[in-house]
Amino acid sequence: MLRFSNALGEARFAFIFVIVLLIINIAVSPARFRPSQLGIMLGLAAPLIYAAIAATPPILSGRGGIDVSIGPFMGLVNVILVQFIITDRGWTEPWIIVPLVLGLGVLSGLINGLLAAIIRIPPIVATLGTYLIYSGLTTYIMPAPRGSIPGWLASLSQETSIIPLALLFLVWWGIRRLPYYEQLMATGGDDRATYSSGVNVTGVRVGAYILGGLFGSIGGLALTALLGSGDPTVGPPYTLTAIAGAALGGVSLAGGRGGLFGAMLGAIAIFLLQNILTFLNVTSFVLQMAYGFVLVVAVVLNSAAVQARLTRLLGGTQ
Amino acid sequence: MRLRRLFTNSYFVAVVLALVIFLIGRWQVPGFGSLFSIRAMLVLTALLAVAAVGQTLAMLLGGIDLSIPFVIGFANVVAAQLYGGGLPFEQVFLIVIGFAALIGVLNGILSASLGIHPLIVTLGVGTFVQGAVLEWTKGFPGGRVPAFINQFVSIGATLGPYEVFGLEIGPFPFPAVVPVVLIGGLVIVLVLEWTVYGRQLYALGSNPDAARLALVRPVFIWGVTYALSAIFAAIAGVLLLGFTGSAFARVGQPYLFQTIAAVVIGGTSLLGGRGSYLGTLIGAFVLIELNTVLIGLGLNQSLVQAALGVVIVILVAVYGREAAVRARI
Repeated sequence: MLRFSNALGEARFAFIFVIVLLIINIAVSPARFRPSQLGIMLGLAAPLIYAAIAATPPILSGRGGIDVSIGPFMGLVNVILVQFIITDRGWTEPWIIVPLVLGLGVLSGLINGLLAAIIRIPPIVATLGTYLIYSGLTTYIMPAPRGSIPGWLASLSQETSIIPLALLFLVWWGIRRLPYYEQLMATGGDDRATYSSGVNVTGVRVGAYILGGLFGSIGGLALTALLGSGDPTVGPPYTLTAIAGAALGGVSLAGGRGGLFGAMLGAIAIFLLQNILTFLNVTSFVLQMAYGFVLVVAVVLNSAAVQARLTRLLGGTQ
Repeated sequence: MRLRRLFTNSYFVAVVLALVIFLIGRWQVPGFGSLFSIRAMLVLTALLAVAAVGQTLAMLLGGIDLSIPFVIGFANVVAAQLYGGGLPFEQVFLIVIGFAALIGVLNGILSASLGIHPLIVTLGVGTFVQGAVLEWTKGFPGGRVPAFINQFVSIGATLGPYEVFGLEIGPFPFPAVVPVVLIGGLVIVLVLEWTVYGRQLYALGSNPDAARLALVRPVFIWGVTYALSAIFAAIAGVLLLGFTGSAFARVGQPYLFQTIAAVVIGGTSLLGGRGSYLGTLIGAFVLIELNTVLIGLGLNQSLVQAALGVVIVILVAVYGREAAVRARI
């Protein structure tokens, strides 16, 4: 058990949290967590999961790296997809829609990477800039909710919801076997030492933003699948939960520590918490309090100082 | 030497920007240079400048304070609610400021003592506070606004006339908040330059390890700084109550981005230790001016937002860039 928890690394806290919340969830509403319902549950959680995953690579790249534009970007993908691609052009086939959406993700990642890593605007300012641009464009393109989506896309929020997530982790599994992964973690840990050993630190960072944009575009797709239409207001709040999920999952805001799996666990924990509170019929205000509280408690428990003390208390090896 | 540091080129750039935007406004937007529009911009700048005090201090430390909009909303709603409930305003003010200081101390101490990034801590604490305020009022805040606060920030208000040595001066065509913020701002600049607290703040921001060796207590300074940040946010919340006339828990939302932008346009580095509140004052004016011109050009609200994003990115790209890795070895 100890070895297993070590393998989970920074994510072990989120793992325990998810298990506990899952047990409570199953206890309070067993019907919603039947195996046959898992596709629907995953579909509901999907935008949150992708948002947290998308927020992670820029944070891993260190030195204040962060992408706060992720929420509005998912909203922008949603309205571009529904308005320009599906409604205006009438393109509804997956082999047209999926590459276009992924292309948007790469483009957004390139823009953020250019601003934050190449021009070297402090990442939070650069991506707050794109946050404003994306959310402005979103409400300009589609001032009020409208449109519809093809059936295959809607099913992505139900029975086929596992497919994009599985593909994403397959891609990440491949990336972890490339030198790029080591370079990313090294850059996040100590960019000066990494630069001195000949790594193109700027390129690595741009790559991290592109990965974030790519994952974020899948989030936009999942959001569209879940909504079944275009809605200009739903995107921006995902920024908060994305960063919260990543932090909960043990992704260090200082860079170089954590991973996508942890971020996913963090997002699932938030989703499960949301689910319990909704079931208990609390107001959205209490839900917001719970978000804030869990976020603070999670980062406190995840912090190096508290972790060291906990390890000593439990008599584990350092 | 100290004075020279106040006037390094980023201030110069910001002032030139303010002038350029003003000229563009005069040229393109009818009525832009009128007394009313200048008054409105000065009041909005003063409100933003109060909210941005904390962001400046936090960034000088190398941190950030995302709880500012939430504390603004908290003060806004709680002040109206308590005053409406019949408490005298002095007590209301002390309660609001006291609670805000506690929120700030929590932010600062959690971040510094556990080494957690303040971005997450302030976001979490702020979200919690706003949820609590909304739950308390069930989303429909009530209450009243003291008339003198209304008068203090109202765009249409005038100041004076005063009698000084038998001479009648004024009335000045702006509300009291404008000169108060200007003088208060200069006091803040001097406090940061000349007091032990101010020097320790800069020391900790520019090199935490060296500051620790010089016996600066990081947790103490972080606690004090974030408490100050929350106190100024609370003051901004109370002033906004006078400005809008009614309480609203999300009234602070625009200030999240605006305080960060004002500080950065004013030339303060996000990495800590470099910059000053003087820059923030100019930055706040530039930002308000920009917003006014963009709306005056007839763009709709969505496009104003997008254009503001573009302009801020360009501005920061011109003079707010970080050093390259190779320059930091």
